[in-house]
Amino acid sequence: MKAVRQALWILLAALVPAFLASAFHPKRPAWSEDVLQPGEERLGTVQSWGDSVLWVDARSRKEFDTEHIPNAVLLNLEEWDQLFPAFLDRWQPNQKVVVYCSSLACHMSEEVADRLRRNSVEPVYVLKGGWEAWKSKR
Amino acid sequence: MRFLPFLFVLLTTPLFGQLKWENPDQTFVPKPQDKEVIARYRFTNAGTIPVTISDVHTSCGCTTAALQKKQYGPGESGEIAAAFNIAGRTGHQEKDIYVTTSAALLNPTVLRLKVDIPESIKIEPQLVMWRLGDQPVAKTIRIAVPDEIPAKVVSVVTDNQAVKLDLREIRPGKELEVRVTPQGTTQAAATTLVIRTDYPPGNPETHYAYARVK
Repeated sequence: MKAVRQALWILLAALVPAFLASAFHPKRPAWSEDVLQPGEERLGTVQSWGDSVLWVDARSRKEFDTEHIPNAVLLNLEEWDQLFPAFLDRWQPNQKVVVYCSSLACHMSEEVADRLRRNSVEPVYVLKGGWEAWKSKR
Repeated sequence: MRFLPFLFVLLTTPLFGQLKWENPDQTFVPKPQDKEVIARYRFTNAGTIPVTISDVHTSCGCTTAALQKKQYGPGESGEIAAAFNIAGRTGHQEKDIYVTTSAALLNPTVLRLKVDIPESIKIEPQLVMWRLGDQPVAKTIRIAVPDEIPAKVVSVVTDNQAVKLDLREIRPGKELEVRVTPQGTTQAAATTLVIRTDYPPGNPETHYAYARVK
């Protein structure tokens, strides 16, 4: 009986921080798949579009050089003037463009997507979950 | 019941060890030519036991320098420096720095870096495009330099003859309309508009807009 009681105490001691972490930790995983924000698409949907998609990598050149989605074009805010012409060379009117950056907390892809849309590049989507979503599905 | 002391330590550490931050929420307004801003967050261990900084991570586009040390005794002070690369960005930006310490393992401190980046020039749109076979009608690019920026546009030229430019200065050097007309739309063409300014002196900025027939 004593052992059971001690086990319950240990369980309680573990549950308290676990609950706090699940409620407040900034890196906590979602309980369920979040709803899509306007302009976002899930990886599965993008993959169903086939090879016609133009992937845009909004991360730094260093991260891009380390690894990127095959055939993705680098386009970030830091080097916009240098990289935008190369994007234009690759992009075809009406081609679906999907922008990704490094993590769920990163808003770089939204900023790049917004700037593309302001230049009449349509349609442009942001990959939900970013690079991590791609890596985890490989 | 031997585990109770550990439970006690876990639950009471935040009461005895805590970092007090001098200015956890900082705002910057950089100059137009600045490439980055650096925020320094100073802290003091206001508790009675040592505090260990176990993790520091940031929103992307923002980096923190490595800490010289991780453990700070009672009364000891330290600093976390965060650099935000603002090149290419404009407008209001907010970045968060999450600091996890032994005093609050489950509840990281959030330091905030706000930056209002002035736009040195506005080019809208940066791209004008015609589909193959479209009517070769003129499209307009508007260029404006904010009054608070001591710059003027000194020239707008193209790198080839695939388009014709018609410049109209609304306010000399400060506000221009550029009407771009392709010579034809029967074949693909790519043109860069080179927009030169006179600021900053010695190394004046050049900006770009693009015309495409695709």
